[in-house]
Amino acid sequence: MSSKVTPASETTNPEEIYAKHQKVYPRQVTGIFANLRVLGVLVLLGLYYIVPWLRWDGHQAVLFDLPARKFYIFSLTFWPQDFIYLALLLIIAALALFFFTALAGRLWCGYACPQTVWTEVFLWFERQIEGDRNKQIKLDKAPFSARKFRIKATKHLVWLVFSAWTGLTFVGYFTPIASLWTALLNLSLGPWETFWIIFYGFATYGNAGWMREQVCIYMCPYARFQSAMFDKDTLIISYDDKRGEPRGSRKKSADSKALGLGDCVDCTLCVQVCPTGIDIRNGLQYQCIGCAACIDVCDDVMDKMGYPKGLVRYTTQHAMDGKQTHVIRPRMIVYAVLLVFITSALFYSMITRMPLRLDIIRDRNALYRETTEGMVENIYTLKIINMDGKPHTYHLEVDGLEGLKLINQRGDIEVPSGEVITVPVRVQIDPINLKHTGADINFHLQAVDKPELSLIEKGRFIGPVMQ
Amino acid sequence: MSETRQDIPTIQKFIAVLWPSFLTSGVATILFFTAFDPQELAMVGGYGIISRMAGYTIGFFIFWLLTATTCALTCYFQRPCNQPPSTTHHHHPKDA
Repeated sequence: MSSKVTPASETTNPEEIYAKHQKVYPRQVTGIFANLRVLGVLVLLGLYYIVPWLRWDGHQAVLFDLPARKFYIFSLTFWPQDFIYLALLLIIAALALFFFTALAGRLWCGYACPQTVWTEVFLWFERQIEGDRNKQIKLDKAPFSARKFRIKATKHLVWLVFSAWTGLTFVGYFTPIASLWTALLNLSLGPWETFWIIFYGFATYGNAGWMREQVCIYMCPYARFQSAMFDKDTLIISYDDKRGEPRGSRKKSADSKALGLGDCVDCTLCVQVCPTGIDIRNGLQYQCIGCAACIDVCDDVMDKMGYPKGLVRYTTQHAMDGKQTHVIRPRMIVYAVLLVFITSALFYSMITRMPLRLDIIRDRNALYRETTEGMVENIYTLKIINMDGKPHTYHLEVDGLEGLKLINQRGDIEVPSGEVITVPVRVQIDPINLKHTGADINFHLQAVDKPELSLIEKGRFIGPVMQ
Repeated sequence: MSETRQDIPTIQKFIAVLWPSFLTSGVATILFFTAFDPQELAMVGGYGIISRMAGYTIGFFIFWLLTATTCALTCYFQRPCNQPPSTTHHHHPKDA
């Protein structure tokens, strides 16, 4: 083999790769898929760093307010009781992952995974500070010097500052980010916030700066089980060995047919650009994150040689075998139907969601008491939760037994948006109307300004039975 | 079938214990604290007033400790019970 570069997977015993890890220096690549990934990085990281700063109706637009146990997403406020939406969202995310993996392979890994996206940024910093691939290799091989120290220290400092910003932004999704920055500048950050900023920042620095492709190879569960979602119609990145072999270097002017060579000029650029250090020409490997860097770089080479593009390309196993590729197949239909069904269920339940809750807590001290007028009285504590984006005034009524009387000293109850108001109420009845020791009664709650905002909640009324 | 199982490197064992337990303890933390408010739990348990962030954090690490212990025990029990004194070229009676 005339390769100038040997892939890490060939020089290192796979069993020892953790112990004797060879650093991968991915060469910079340009092309359509590289542009798509840069777009992915800009959009996703742009959203990540900007979204916590958006404001909506006087609060942070997206805030998973853990200290207050409330999630704000623009005009919606979610409570722990709304956990079902989070569960549905996670199921949808998992199904979408199955769907897109079966359809187009590891799209997630190559373009959208935080590991890829942040590693891409860290690689960019590394290139700005240390120079291109060859300069990086040379610097690492060079003996220790003041210059090497200065360059390495600058890189790590930049990485650490960026990681700290990332960690602070992360915590900013859970406690208001503006006050977080204020606290940071006043050096008055709380201990738990500080801890999580350091924890997340350190994880970013370690994963994107040091671990990189090892996270994908050794730590990612998806990388291990994604093969279960693959079939012969799944889009994969593949080297066309029928066209490429026998590989070999030649002059641009040379007649490859006369030399008995295939189209692969064995320039090893596909190996040099690979972020996981594999050789795509060895076939589909689980280390391949589907980033398509090898496609971009090989297309450039093919252009320069005057050969058609696509020696390494997105294709399917069926297409490689000269068979028809089926995009629509049972697996895809099942995933798609489930996805559409659960997504519509989520939307339907969100649209019809009643942004109002009433919790009824009976007085624990006494089952009932008798008033001086001879009425039987039960005491309740009502918790009214207004989950709507606007404040509302609610009217409360009670029925379910003949002659029930509600004594609510507050009258109609005003509840600000996203607040819980506790209202003590008394319910009285003439004991003549009591047929049983216990009966269900209904509390009706209705917004005065918005009648469709109403609900009925059951409570238990207890009293003595008159013989 | 006579050769002993090739073990994964020590560092990979650490990852195999710490990483999956980290993921599951994250899920456990979300599920648990969606159902229970750490502040109320601390009050009921007689620990006084703690901040919710403290409750979540401590809860997460207790979960992680438990799940990591489980992972470590699984790793440990994967060893054969009757380890021979010399592991090289050992023939198990069953394989003979």
